[in-house]
Amino acid sequence: MAAVGVAGLLLFGVAMVMRRLLAPVSANPVRLTTYESGVDPVGSHWAQTQVRYLGFAFLYVIFAVDAVYLFPWATVLRDADLGAASLAEMGIFIAVLLVGLVHAARRGLLRWLP
Amino acid sequence: MSTLAALAATTDNPVADFGDTPWWLSLVKALLVFVFLLINTLLVIWFERRVIGRMQQRPGPNRAGPFGLLQTLADGVKLALKEDIVPKAADKIMFWAAPAIAGAMAFVSFAIIPMGGTVWMFGHKTPLQLTDTPIATLLVLAVAGVGVYGIVLAGWSSGSTYPLLGGLRSSAQVISYEIAMGLALVAVFLYAGSMSTSQIVFAQNDLWYIVPAFFSFVVYVITMVGETNRLPFDLAEGEGELTGGFHTEYSSLKFAMFFLGEYVNMFTVSALATTLFLGGPAAPPGIAAIGDGMLNGGWWGLLWFVVKLWLFMFFFVWLRGSLPRVRYDQFMRLGWKVLIPTTLVWVVMVAFIRAAELGFLGDSKVSLLGRDFPRATLFIIACIALAVLVAAWFYDNHQVKRRAELEEARAMDEEIDPFAGGHPVPPLPGQRLVEPPLALSAARPAPVTDSGSEENRG
Amino acid sequence: MTVGGAESALFWIAGPLAVAGALALLFARKAVHAAVGMATAMIVLGIFYIAQQAEFLGVIQIFVYSGAVMMLFLFVIMLIGVDSSDSLVETIRGQRWAGLLLAAGLAAITIAGIGKAAFGTPRGLAEANKDGNVSGAARLIFGDYVWAFEATSALLITAALGAMLLAHRERLTPKATQADWSRERIRSGENVAGLPAPGVYARHNAVDTPALLPDGSPAELSISRVLRARGQVGTTGALTQVTQEIEHEVGDESDEQATTRKDDDA
Repeated sequence: MAAVGVAGLLLFGVAMVMRRLLAPVSANPVRLTTYESGVDPVGSHWAQTQVRYLGFAFLYVIFAVDAVYLFPWATVLRDADLGAASLAEMGIFIAVLLVGLVHAARRGLLRWLP
Repeated sequence: MSTLAALAATTDNPVADFGDTPWWLSLVKALLVFVFLLINTLLVIWFERRVIGRMQQRPGPNRAGPFGLLQTLADGVKLALKEDIVPKAADKIMFWAAPAIAGAMAFVSFAIIPMGGTVWMFGHKTPLQLTDTPIATLLVLAVAGVGVYGIVLAGWSSGSTYPLLGGLRSSAQVISYEIAMGLALVAVFLYAGSMSTSQIVFAQNDLWYIVPAFFSFVVYVITMVGETNRLPFDLAEGEGELTGGFHTEYSSLKFAMFFLGEYVNMFTVSALATTLFLGGPAAPPGIAAIGDGMLNGGWWGLLWFVVKLWLFMFFFVWLRGSLPRVRYDQFMRLGWKVLIPTTLVWVVMVAFIRAAELGFLGDSKVSLLGRDFPRATLFIIACIALAVLVAAWFYDNHQVKRRAELEEARAMDEEIDPFAGGHPVPPLPGQRLVEPPLALSAARPAPVTDSGSEENRG
Repeated sequence: MTVGGAESALFWIAGPLAVAGALALLFARKAVHAAVGMATAMIVLGIFYIAQQAEFLGVIQIFVYSGAVMMLFLFVIMLIGVDSSDSLVETIRGQRWAGLLLAAGLAAITIAGIGKAAFGTPRGLAEANKDGNVSGAARLIFGDYVWAFEATSALLITAALGAMLLAHRERLTPKATQADWSRERIRSGENVAGLPAPGVYARHNAVDTPALLPDGSPAELSISRVLRARGQVGTTGALTQVTQEIEHEVGDESDEQATTRKDDDA
């Protein structure tokens, strides 16, 4: 596993060395400016972005934690002692989360357009 | 289906036995996986351009090598010969790190994919799989989560507006669809009782999970397109809106890294779909029966695996050739309002089906089509079908009512002839156009007369 | 306790990486570098868990912490700005002292709690992972700690409401459409055709350069008010100079233009 990842990094290293050997370099101040479809860039690049992304990131965290509980549950369901009980437990858990999601949707958090 | 319950083991440990695999053999296998992915990527880019060419009635690349097979290689060499530009406004360290993360992370997940049965390799009996753990499938999700950093950092470090927007979009997109993907996988885990890929493949001996977990398969296929930023969900690099998205400022081999990462990711998600829903390296049902399973397992598995993998690749290409890009708000609405809630409900349904199979809800069985089904399973499936039907009926009624309302509203509008004044005039609010009757017949494509000479046009 | 060669090698390679990431979190000057440093530390910790055969915990660590929480960090950074430095002004009087006091209290409780912990005899990995690592963890979650698990759902739903409070504003009035804006312009009688667009010239094309009015003076309205507030408005002096020089030579220059040129030069 790690070996494949390391191989990927090595590939990147080899590619970078190859580029250094093969690719031409001609520094040109105009070429190094930010690309904005032919319009000259003004000021620094950074502009504030939509706060909506933040809402979705929050929801992601919530549902990631939810998924984290679902995964082990999938393996415990076959258990003779806990299986039936865990089914009810997980039913309550998912119902509570769904209520949350439906509430968020009704209040318009999930609507991308304002 | 009840035999499934018997097959699902009481442990979630992998069934693949790595006992006879020395460390050097693991390294060899790692290298082979890496080379396999590289070659496949080279092939698939050519394949994509040729197939899309066919779909658009043009030949596609056919000059470099036989059938243009070497076109991708030529493009790669060309990229290496391009000047590498680091914009002045860029954050140098992250600008370098981003393509490295995107390129390297793409390869990692493939380590847990079972690509064939158990084979003899250099005098050792070893499974055609690099490694397996009880959490192998989750590893793919975790690695995908880390891979997003490549895109976000690329967008941020470029010091430019288009990449920043593209990076943000892409990360929001990937995390939204990762949730739906994870939830879709839960149904498979419920059936298999394990997250180890070899165990899941083993549990599909009897029936591929595409049948009992059909809805999960549909959701997974949708999310895998969203995860890999491919058309119709390639909003992160929507050319019409963001020029190139997160890789606008990248050039030369750094750009090639993103390109490579995207295609390898496509292979990874397809391989996971193959493993989870199509029985991995298992032979297709009819062929598996030939000669007491002689075409099933061993090196043959690799063949079936590659065939299934490329079916998914063709599906990716087909999508790209036929669908337009969706709007971002539509995309997010699909993810959060449709995929996630329905998949959550589906997971609960599957849990009840499983509980019925395991005998939590009564033990009586019914024989059907040569299989034993617990009565409770059939009852739950009937309940689900009924619920779906009722929901569909309500939805349909609602649609009919809405359409009727729309029609009524339209009927109130005054009809105008757009050409009344001699030149076309758009309708004002409260007016509607009289469609010229010729529009439809004029829009019909002219019959193709000459298709034989296309190959020669280049 | 003995540690295998491969594991100690992993420790000596990955350990420093985790420490470097943690130090980057403390000392990096750019907020994004700090966040990436923390992500590195989290991922390496996850790898350590996996190396110690707590595979489920390790993967969850990477999935949740580096995947979700760090993404949240990055988003926050993007929203509040990359260049902005922290404001050290106290908005609520005494909040710093109150914060320190609460932190000290939390630390005291934590230390007291951990100090009292009694260790049972370890049963060993073989028994814990008998049915597989995930099943072992799952049995604890859904068996012994089921109330904590159900309480988590309440916590999560609270978090969802918090997200809504932070990142969502409800509209009390419908959003003005393009048609509404147009009607409003015509009713007020100002800029009926919309505001003028910024300058587009053969040699220079930027949003920070104002358009020129027929008399050659810059049209202030064509510049976005954000740029004006930031003080990033460019000058048109160099652009109009050439034209004016030619006009001067052919004797076509009006008095107004002459004064504008003087203004621009100054």
